[in-house]
Amino acid sequence: MEPVVEARGLTKRYGNVRGVENLDFTVAAGEIFGFLGPNGAGKSTTIRTMLDFQRPTDGTVRVLGLDSRFDSVEIHRRTGYVPGDLQLFPKLTGRDHLDAFARARGTVSSSATRLLVDRFHIELDRPVRDLSKGNRQKVGLLLAFMHEPELVILDEPTAGLDPIMQEQFQELLRETIASGRTVFLSSHSLDEVQRVATTVALIRDGRLVVVGTLANLQLRAPVRVSFRFTTPVDPAEFQRLPVVQSARADGTTLNLEVMGSVDAVVKHAARHEVLEIRARPADLEDLFLRYYDLESSGDASAPPIRPADGR
Amino acid sequence: MVAEVARLDLRARRTSLAGYTIGLALYALVIVALYPAFKNSTGLDKIVTESPAIAALFGISGSITSADGWTNANLYANFLPLIVLLLTIGYGAAAVAGEEEAGRLDVVVALPLSRHRILTEKAAAMILQTTIVCVATYVCMLAGRAFDLNLDPWYLAQTTIGVLLLAIGFGFVALAIGAIRGERGPALGITTALAAAAYLLSSLAPVVSWLNPWRVLSPFYWAIGNNQLTRGLGWDGALVLIGITAAAFAAAVVSFERHDLRG
Repeated sequence: MEPVVEARGLTKRYGNVRGVENLDFTVAAGEIFGFLGPNGAGKSTTIRTMLDFQRPTDGTVRVLGLDSRFDSVEIHRRTGYVPGDLQLFPKLTGRDHLDAFARARGTVSSSATRLLVDRFHIELDRPVRDLSKGNRQKVGLLLAFMHEPELVILDEPTAGLDPIMQEQFQELLRETIASGRTVFLSSHSLDEVQRVATTVALIRDGRLVVVGTLANLQLRAPVRVSFRFTTPVDPAEFQRLPVVQSARADGTTLNLEVMGSVDAVVKHAARHEVLEIRARPADLEDLFLRYYDLESSGDASAPPIRPADGR
Repeated sequence: MVAEVARLDLRARRTSLAGYTIGLALYALVIVALYPAFKNSTGLDKIVTESPAIAALFGISGSITSADGWTNANLYANFLPLIVLLLTIGYGAAAVAGEEEAGRLDVVVALPLSRHRILTEKAAAMILQTTIVCVATYVCMLAGRAFDLNLDPWYLAQTTIGVLLLAIGFGFVALAIGAIRGERGPALGITTALAAAAYLLSSLAPVVSWLNPWRVLSPFYWAIGNNQLTRGLGWDGALVLIGITAAAFAAAVVSFERHDLRG
């Protein structure tokens, strides 16, 4: 089956300033493709090139089998998009936007629209300038989903949404792929991507670091566990455990990086009097650091991953 | 899908458009209503003949108390083009560059409409706004017949069309400059400077002899600087103004097509 998005050597430079450099990736139909990277990594640049807002310096990107450069109107017809920094017409209400964009598109599913409005409690009758950022963002989601597009491109879409709405939103994404459609989700939040993405691409400094399934990538990042004891504990005790990558004492607190099961760590800690345990999953930086470590040490035991060119 | 982009822009500008229209219409009515009080004032004409350079700065030449002289001196040679240019240059700079700076262009460009189509709709929105303002002014000036201000309706219409084309031409220049880099400041600044220079050239040419041959370079000359109220726009004037407008529109299309929208 033809890929939904296919980038080949995609490069965008702004004069001497880097945008993205030689990106190769494919997004298959029915995926939630998490495009993960820190702010400024080139996520928006990639998306804006896919939508022909910007023209590649080199390389190509095909969307739904169409050339980004020459078939952009058709690509726009079949995609939905929420910009990273969504701005609407301040004096107009959500309904004004909905009506205008529906007329401009011509093809809008009124049932899909109604469901979205009910589900996200979208405020349609107030001027968008009077709405909170989260409520404006919901109007943006509506504009991206109302025509039931084959591909939804979301640039940091949950900014401003409260946690309950974020869950609702993730549910919406799962339903979207369940109906055979595809989601391209850009985010700097590993947590968000972890919850929904089926495939993840890591981008940093304009270059694609790795593309893989979530399960494979997650295994590669350590969990951070810290214990607070009643008395100081020697980190060396924990360092001996095979799953512990690093151990560092800070007064009575011990900070560990654990790769794999925490069972042995917890059991060992139980020998001391524990006041507090905190565990935090790997964040984006950990994941990158970990990935670079493995790459430089050539760790053959690392789980197999899809190479960054996606082939 | 009937010109939704134009409709969105027009809705956002309803209030200011009403302001421009009502403001100019009322001003025109005041000018018209004051005419009987001044039409026999030889003193007023004397001021103009004694300091023609000062008068020229305001676009005034010849008799100020004749019907066309009064209309030119108070409205058509200065205030009307100024206000309509404010509208067109303001909208031209805002329509692409301003919207882009506000971050609002993304959702519009993501619609299944070509860049060419989007720009054409915005150009149409500019023409419509300008036409409303100019027609309202024209109608109010025609009301001058009730106050002895007898202007030839046909020549007045031609001159009004001249002002319309003049303003839209500069508006499209602002649109084109704004679409090069998506920055509103240069679009406003450069276009306003060009318009100011063109205005001075046309209005000072009658009294500054070395400028006189150059006046044909000013679009103002072709719209309002050559006694259009008594002689009409002329085919040459109409063609020059339409040519400038078409060229500026073509430049705007090209620069918008080539433009990388900033994120």
